[in-house]
Amino acid sequence: MSTWERVKYVKHCLFHPFDGFYEAKNRGKGSILAATVLIALYCILDCVEVQYTGFIMNLNQISRMNSVTIFISALTVLLLAVISNWTITTLFDGKGKLKDIYMVLGYSLAPMVVIDACIVLASNFVIEEEAVILVAIRWMGIAWSAFLIVTGLCTVHEFSLAKTLVTILATLAAALIILFLLVLFISLVEQMVQFIYIFSKEFMRRI
Amino acid sequence: MKKQMLKRIAAAVLCCLVVFTSEAGVSAHAADGNSYVYDGYVYDFWGEAQECPAAFSLGGIIDSDSLAYGFGSIDDVCTSDDGRIFLADKTNARVNVFDEKGEFLKTIQTVYAGDKKIALNEDGTQVKLAGPTGTYYHDKNDELYIADSTNKIVYVLDGQTYYLKRMIGQPDNLSGVTEYVPSKVTVDMADRIYIVVQSSYEGIIELNEDGSFSRYFGVNEPGVNLIEFFWKSIATDTQKEKMGKIYAPAFTNVVTDSEGFVYAVTNDSAAVDSVFRLNSKGENVLREMGGIPVIGDLTSSGVTSSFIDVAVTDYGVYAVLDNTKGRIFLYDYDGQVLNVFGGYGKTKGQFSKPTSIAWNGYNLVVTDTDLRCAYILNPTDFGQVMLRASEEYYNGNWDAATELFRECIRWNSNYEVAYVGIGKNHLMKDEYEDAMYYFKLGNARTYYSDAYNGYRGEQIRDNFWIIALLFVAGISALILSEVRYHKKAGQKGGTDR
Repeated sequence: MSTWERVKYVKHCLFHPFDGFYEAKNRGKGSILAATVLIALYCILDCVEVQYTGFIMNLNQISRMNSVTIFISALTVLLLAVISNWTITTLFDGKGKLKDIYMVLGYSLAPMVVIDACIVLASNFVIEEEAVILVAIRWMGIAWSAFLIVTGLCTVHEFSLAKTLVTILATLAAALIILFLLVLFISLVEQMVQFIYIFSKEFMRRI
Repeated sequence: MKKQMLKRIAAAVLCCLVVFTSEAGVSAHAADGNSYVYDGYVYDFWGEAQECPAAFSLGGIIDSDSLAYGFGSIDDVCTSDDGRIFLADKTNARVNVFDEKGEFLKTIQTVYAGDKKIALNEDGTQVKLAGPTGTYYHDKNDELYIADSTNKIVYVLDGQTYYLKRMIGQPDNLSGVTEYVPSKVTVDMADRIYIVVQSSYEGIIELNEDGSFSRYFGVNEPGVNLIEFFWKSIATDTQKEKMGKIYAPAFTNVVTDSEGFVYAVTNDSAAVDSVFRLNSKGENVLREMGGIPVIGDLTSSGVTSSFIDVAVTDYGVYAVLDNTKGRIFLYDYDGQVLNVFGGYGKTKGQFSKPTSIAWNGYNLVVTDTDLRCAYILNPTDFGQVMLRASEEYYNGNWDAATELFRECIRWNSNYEVAYVGIGKNHLMKDEYEDAMYYFKLGNARTYYSDAYNGYRGEQIRDNFWIIALLFVAGISALILSEVRYHKKAGQKGGTDR
């Protein structure tokens, strides 16, 4: 399959997730490029949403907005989810590789990306009473994405539904542990650097 | 060459001098000659404190030097429509009367019944104030009400001669467990008398005009604490008995407005609301349309305000006095915060233990019992414009209000209330685009939505044919593609068979 054909296959995955993710994983129809693009689009859209959502629906303090922070935090959450899911499913005998999980997550973001983009555009033309409809549509997008994530993980790991849900809960716990370890690691390194710095300073004085 | 250099240096030094001396002048007096002893602020849409010129500055001081007896304490203040200021002094058992400038007029201790005739109680003793803690001037009947918490009597005096009119002791038909210790008093347009008893959980005592008991008035709901609720739900009956009951928080102070509503405040931290506008059923109908609640300082600022007095103008602007930080909060009828100023300190105009507040025309009178003085606060240029704008808006003179709001913006271009005020005027005249502009600046999303609704309707009407054409084109494209798809599918099906 050519790259373009594989990118086009994303659409098939959205509407036929069990079938689509199976083929994407096992028959080489998946595209890491498409997943990466979707993840990047999702992170960019997070920034766009804060800035360009219509005034009525936009409760953000735009003067305080920092697009770099928003982008990085969105990306961090996604990558953390991929890595912690991989660590957990390895323990649970999941058949999915890191690449597959990344792909599932990327593809699953597609409905959210499309619907959120439409909502950002539409939010500029609605009044307060109609904003409720947009919020409802957004939740539909989120639900679709969540459904895709569950079915996608089910398929690539060859898990039952119950096991998938358990692993997702475990993934959340794992993500927290990873964050905790990261914070611990950073503070320890900081202390070590401080120690070396002070030690060398004193050492220089004594010579 | 050298001469020029010297000249330049001299010029520079002069410049510096001018700058520094004028700088020193600014800190004490602004260009308009008013002295600003207060730093004001308002809360914006996001609940952040934004600097704003203070609405009031110190105009005059009434202190112990103003009268021969001095002040023992100052517990309450009220004003009459003709500008007299009444200060209740519980320690010295007097009510002192001043004119609007703060000049001493009269002191009331022994109450007279007529010309040089001292009023007598039933047992023949002289009628003498013992511990006045609350005063109220009822302009409708020209009567001065004095709540005396030591004698447990409310005295009603003639407003001009200060002769005793009647005494309201404990009503015979008073029900409930509240002890009749009148602390604050107010009277509404129908001459009903409202009496606050400190730490009474039954509500405000409402008396009929003749002094008979009518009912307890106003419900102050206590907040529900989840943790406490949990412990109570698993406690046994004996444990519950020992835990102590949650009582309805008591009201601290009351005042009536021109429409007959009773404004009340509470400083009990257990209360859900802290400012009340009670209707005749005793329900809180305070308008809170400002986006932020009427609780004084927002919880996000880390300060919890506790209110001890409230003063209302005829045009719905009310001032609440807080004794956590010694601040005065001004709200308009809609509950939008107009201005916050004041604070604790040692300089003139600052507070140590503020007790009460009252409007005197456009001026405010604030008392402090620790410093034994009352401040007469005059509105600053900004304050004047702001108050007049609110007044005109309340009275429905929207064009005049808009002009004043524009002037407000000249003083403070971050003043959301003014932008919203201008926007409302444009909205009422169906000038949607202007309205949207101002509502956006004022961060008023609901009003913006209303304006946008009108604007969008106009746009659709003006461009109806274009929109209709686009719509028809879209529909026909959809139908066309469907037809084509089915044709194709039909052909396919045909060959398959």
